[in-house]
Amino acid sequence: MKTFNSGGVHPPENKLTEDISIEVMPVPSEVAISLNQHLGKPAKPVVKVGSEVKKGQLIGEADGFISANVHASTSGKVKAVKPHPHPGGQYAMTVFITPDGKDEWAEGCNTAPADWKKLSKKEIIEKIRDAGIVGMGGAGFPTNVKLSPPPDKSIDTIILNGAECEPFLTADHRLMVETPDLVVQGLEIISSLFEGKAKAYIGIESNKPDAIAALKKLAEPKGIGVVSLKTKYPQGAEKQLINAITGRTIEEGELPFDKGCLVQNIGTAVAVYEAVCMNKPLIERVLTVSGMEIAERKNIMARIGTPFREIVAYCGDMTAKTNQVIAGGPMMGKALFSLDTPVVKTTSGILFLNNSRLNKSRERTCIRCSKCVEVCPQGLGPWLLANVAQLKEFDEIQLYGLANCTECGSCTYVCPSKRELVHWIKYAKALVNNRQKRKSA
Amino acid sequence: MISEAFIPAVSSLGAVALALGVIIHFVSKKFHVEEDPMVTIINDILPGVNCGACGYPSCNQFAEVLVETKDSSMSCPAGGSDLAAKLGDTLGIEMAEPKPQIAVLMCQGDNDIARETAEYMGIQDCWAATQAFVGPKQCRYSCVGLGSCIAYCDFDAMRLENGLVVIDKDKCTGCEACIAACPTGVLVMQEKKAERYFIACNSHDKGAATKKACDAGCIACQKCVKVCEDDAIVIDNFLAKIDQEKCTACGKCIEVCPTKVNCIRLEHDLNAVKQKKAS
Amino acid sequence: MDSVNLKVSYAPFIRSKDSIESVMYNVALALAPATVLSIYLFGMPALIVNVVCILSCIAFEWLMDTVRKKPNSCLDGSALVTGLLIALNVPANLPIWMLVVGSFIAIVGTKHVFGGLGYNVFNPALVARVFLLISFPAAMTSWPVPFSVDMETAASPLGILKTDGLEAAMSSFSLMDGFYGTMNGSLGETSTLALLAGAAWLFYKRYITITIPLTMIGSVFLFTGLFYLLDPTTYASPMFHMVTGGLMLGAFFMATDMVTSPLSVRGQIVFGLGCGLLTAIIRLWGGYPEGVSFAILIMNGFVPLIDRWDLNDRKAKNQKKSETT
Repeated sequence: MKTFNSGGVHPPENKLTEDISIEVMPVPSEVAISLNQHLGKPAKPVVKVGSEVKKGQLIGEADGFISANVHASTSGKVKAVKPHPHPGGQYAMTVFITPDGKDEWAEGCNTAPADWKKLSKKEIIEKIRDAGIVGMGGAGFPTNVKLSPPPDKSIDTIILNGAECEPFLTADHRLMVETPDLVVQGLEIISSLFEGKAKAYIGIESNKPDAIAALKKLAEPKGIGVVSLKTKYPQGAEKQLINAITGRTIEEGELPFDKGCLVQNIGTAVAVYEAVCMNKPLIERVLTVSGMEIAERKNIMARIGTPFREIVAYCGDMTAKTNQVIAGGPMMGKALFSLDTPVVKTTSGILFLNNSRLNKSRERTCIRCSKCVEVCPQGLGPWLLANVAQLKEFDEIQLYGLANCTECGSCTYVCPSKRELVHWIKYAKALVNNRQKRKSA
Repeated sequence: MISEAFIPAVSSLGAVALALGVIIHFVSKKFHVEEDPMVTIINDILPGVNCGACGYPSCNQFAEVLVETKDSSMSCPAGGSDLAAKLGDTLGIEMAEPKPQIAVLMCQGDNDIARETAEYMGIQDCWAATQAFVGPKQCRYSCVGLGSCIAYCDFDAMRLENGLVVIDKDKCTGCEACIAACPTGVLVMQEKKAERYFIACNSHDKGAATKKACDAGCIACQKCVKVCEDDAIVIDNFLAKIDQEKCTACGKCIEVCPTKVNCIRLEHDLNAVKQKKAS
Repeated sequence: MDSVNLKVSYAPFIRSKDSIESVMYNVALALAPATVLSIYLFGMPALIVNVVCILSCIAFEWLMDTVRKKPNSCLDGSALVTGLLIALNVPANLPIWMLVVGSFIAIVGTKHVFGGLGYNVFNPALVARVFLLISFPAAMTSWPVPFSVDMETAASPLGILKTDGLEAAMSSFSLMDGFYGTMNGSLGETSTLALLAGAAWLFYKRYITITIPLTMIGSVFLFTGLFYLLDPTTYASPMFHMVTGGLMLGAFFMATDMVTSPLSVRGQIVFGLGCGLLTAIIRLWGGYPEGVSFAILIMNGFVPLIDRWDLNDRKAKNQKKSETT
């Protein structure tokens, strides 16, 4: 069974919702659509307070090359445009819409499926761009940009990431089981952009045998390889996935296309299919509602902009013991400070946890057990990075491979001294950035 | 018996000592570095904390450059005008009068005034906190209140009080070391004045959002702008700002400010007041 | 729902169950077979040695935490492991006051003067053993004979090898004695079997890796084997060196001490080889019959250097990379 070359951990999988079908969540009483749901510059709002919008109508326009369009996820009236909590932990400009209950599509959206083979390469990319599709695994990189690599880079491998290595999350898993045809068609559209020169793979962790079987049946006749991967975190990290499937290593400062690879998420592939064939912009996504402290664990299809508060109510409330609500997975997600935070394009799950270890002074001294070195998939010394960060040696720390850290959290997970290794690394990255900014200013 | 052991030991050690002494003597002669005695004198006058406010990495380098160029515009912000006069006397030149500066916290959102987001349980450092989320306070422009800047202060002029950094006006030398250490940019440098009015708020949010997050936030109501007779107050991106050059410290703005906790603050720099009286 | 108090921290939000305590108590558990066997072999005195060492180590740990105004760590298991290791390293008939002195040297003089757990350069238990060996050579080299009622003492096989030559040493015991532990020696080093059983537990729990024990024992085997082949009448067989002395105890429980061994795998290989070679050299030609403690302590001193070498090497590679791009 294939896996990446070094490191990795095996946290309890806790895939509590893997057998629960996707449920469509009703229209919430208010939607708050963030204009910053992607990497790069936030979108520019193109609607005014008080104006009527239809479902699928453009409300935020991509601002610059690396940016993405944002669309209304239901029909209604724009109530406000103001800063609002974002699942990333910060505030972002957000368009508030009061739904009118009709849930009417804008003209030209959600048409009957058409054959994409008649479209030219340029038309496909334009449709993906117009639909505001971004990487739905977590980073949120605009997909149209990723699908147009510089002409001097030739792509020979396209990988669809079905690893879903984060504990608890099952959104991609359910998509693969319930709509394997859309996943495969989405992948075919993506491959067609590279004129059949690239070999396509779907990488799936071995703990999802039903998804592997469903996709094998559909994909293998079309020449798409379905690869069963060892269940190990972070199998679904871009660099590790490429390494597991092709054996290639992405070095510091390189991007996947430097090694001829392109990785897309399962959800993204489905969104690509819907955008290209049905003119449906990215206005809803599948997410896992799980964790030990929520009454009903579910996989739900929620509209972008649904406040978490309404999801909590829909899933039968959380227990009083809940002290952390996480957007994303437990290894790389973000803890929320407000339940008013809305769903964005990159929200793969919401977890309700009772984290008993929380304590302001829980870090203890390093006992040099070298576990973090053992599990680091990037071959770094996390203990050292954290120590140097604590000493504020921000020139020195870059020489130890700071930029190479993907913040997967494996080191913090295993540390017996409960040190906040990834947080210290993130801290160092912020200060290194700050210094460079000040130097160039 | 004793001499048998004693004499060889003493004589051999003595010989080694003599040889080393001779070598040290020649080495010190050979590698002697000529240094201007004036640099040492100037270096002794300087504060010697190597804070870097003058633009040189150490006090010694500042002294070297000053002795070599005799540039009267060079100044040591940490030393102030007393030191400038001393340096001028020693070098026999007229040093330019330095403009004494002071670090000012443009925020009054302590734990009672600012609304909190959620309890923060991570690494207790402002930069670390702002990586995890917006910060323990709802206002993203506010003083985070975990005191990362304090470690950068060489003069023991900063302390943490009720979720806000407090700057000791008498100890702050204006070296600017803390400015770069703040993730929200809420610390700024201002000229030291006898009486100094400033808007103690850093929030560029619109009035309603600011008010929701904090009782002491500037809501950009324009009242102070209208009442100011010196045109010293302007509103830039939903935040009022007082131009210290134009402000005559008449105090009218502070009377009209409608916020619950007045966002305009008057600070007396005691030393500056004393100096003014003396002159 | 609004009453829920959200708390923010940084990812990951789940942690492994391992903690300093779990690591330490598992090491203590792994030492249990050897400890129990020692009490079976040497009787009541062995039990007293164990109890005294453990209690005095924990007491000194508590004292130092109090003096240094640190959070109390005397029950985190590290003092327990140090106490157990000291007990396993001394003869069963050592006077109690010497045991207390040894514990003092280990906890105060080796661990806390460097800053406590995680900062010590040398293995505390080994420093205690070497301190006792040098200070009280007679008491530390007269080993009680197993199952003897009146505390009859004799030299250890390695000691006989050093003083009386190979023949006398070989006739004093059989290799199987060494393997099961029915021979003269310190409490814990006699039985290779009990030590291997404990080490197996640590491998299973993944608290130690095979690198250091393998390289250390392997290099002792190869080095002594080489000389055995050259001259089997003067040099003992490698199997003799495997089962006698503190090699197994040292290789599995002391050299692998997390705090005082290198972090990178290649560093651990260098460390293990160094320990093994020094052990063999001291055993074959040194003034002392046993060299494991000295070898590990000497290599402990080199650990910062080995780690620095590994780091500088990584740094140089990163620098080269950033220059070429």
